[in-house]
Amino acid sequence: MKHVKTLTNKTLKSTMEKGGCGECQTSCQSACKTSCTVGNQTCENQR
Amino acid sequence: MIHQYKNNGYNIVMDVCSGAIHVVDDITYDVIAAYEENNNKNRETTLEGLHASLPAYSVEDLKEALEEVEDLKEQGELFAEDVYKEFVMDFKKRKTVVKALCLHIAHDCNLGCRYCFAEEGEYHGDRSLMSYEVGKQALDFLVANSGNRRNLEVDFFGGEPTMNFDVVRKLVAYGRSLEEPYNKNFRFTLTTNGILLNDEIMEFANREMANVVLSIDGRKSVNDYMRPTRNGKSTYDIIVPKFQKFAELRNQTNYYVRGTFTHHNLDFSEDVLHLADLGFKQISVEPVVAPPEEPYAIQEADLPQLMEEYDKLAKEMVRREKEGNGFNFFHFMIDLTQGPCVAKRLSGCGSGTEYLAVTPWGDLYPCHQFVGQEQFKLGNVYDGIQAEEIRDEFKLCNVYAKEKCRNCFARFYCSGGCAANSYNFHGSILDAYDIGCELQKKRIECAIMIKAALADQEEKETEEA
Repeated sequence: MKHVKTLTNKTLKSTMEKGGCGECQTSCQSACKTSCTVGNQTCENQR
Repeated sequence: MIHQYKNNGYNIVMDVCSGAIHVVDDITYDVIAAYEENNNKNRETTLEGLHASLPAYSVEDLKEALEEVEDLKEQGELFAEDVYKEFVMDFKKRKTVVKALCLHIAHDCNLGCRYCFAEEGEYHGDRSLMSYEVGKQALDFLVANSGNRRNLEVDFFGGEPTMNFDVVRKLVAYGRSLEEPYNKNFRFTLTTNGILLNDEIMEFANREMANVVLSIDGRKSVNDYMRPTRNGKSTYDIIVPKFQKFAELRNQTNYYVRGTFTHHNLDFSEDVLHLADLGFKQISVEPVVAPPEEPYAIQEADLPQLMEEYDKLAKEMVRREKEGNGFNFFHFMIDLTQGPCVAKRLSGCGSGTEYLAVTPWGDLYPCHQFVGQEQFKLGNVYDGIQAEEIRDEFKLCNVYAKEKCRNCFARFYCSGGCAANSYNFHGSILDAYDIGCELQKKRIECAIMIKAALADQEEKETEEA
């Protein structure tokens, strides 16, 4: 594409079927303890 | 739903429901805005209509941009529908398991931090240390309630956990003894103010702790004002050399120096950079959450300056990264390719269901921030969850259950925000702490800009090569 550079394509919808294993880190255990920062967690289930 | 913004010379378009993120040129940015407006008004977007509303561009250029926009739409990467509202209905029926505990190993502290939500470690109660027996029971409770989850997390929290470190050591040994028989993997973490850190504790932590959180606010004056000792003395000089050593021993990974900024240091980017200049590579500096009447509380009027600070920090981080002197800032971390699944993004932090806090005497609360608020007591480590109605309230707490979140562009990144903050400001876990939301949205925008800038850099380097 000439006008668009895609940083990431559709990743959310595809996780509806396989996702939800729950093995990933709990967000407040990482550092925050006063906010909620789920979006920065990494999936542990190699899709 | 689209969210588009300009930051540091980048035109960024987030397609909220697909998760796709694009960097576009000016004409495409404007075409997308017009397209979204038409969508919201149920109007078709035509080339003629575009030319009428965007006369500065030629018809040929508009045609080309429009074709690319429609192409992306076709591929499901732009204007994707929200298909998750239905998904969340099924999701409510899910059986939850406990996978993480915050153990309040000591309701006592050797510091007198002004902003402490734990009231200098006491959490609206008396000073108390967790006994080994209570901690052991907590780990048994965790294993028994964790179903098939293999990775279990236990944070040694306080107050100050190093004030009861013998119990920490024994609990780690006990946890390890449960791993093989129950097919579990414990990830222990420690949050400490550093005062009692010594070589022995560091050596133990480096062997056993998956992560350590080291509390320091930044510049000496800032740190010492908010984090004095109980008798008002400086802590900066005591903790900095220990934290530097600790970080090096951990190879500059799997730790955070973690600070809090307040109304007193609205120029907090200076504190982040100060920590980076001290050599720390893993940094988290977060806004204080406090009742508005406190002198150090962040006020709505502080927001414009804080937004600028985030922008300034983001730009400086890009500059340092390009120089090969980068560092990681927790609130700008964003995983665009291997990030959390939708189920995780919808369910949020898991407080009250997957994540529980345990008091020194074994009571269970939805998270560390609810400890001491009796109406949220869930049960205890001996009898398990007794107040199922409270747990169910937390289980139903998701982005679509919150009026303020339902149509917010950030909903899949913050996952509805912190339930405790919502409760403290509005008396309900289904609301949202508004100042926190504004800052969160800004951080997401900055984090994505950083990704765009680094992708740009990578591209230029490839071209040059």
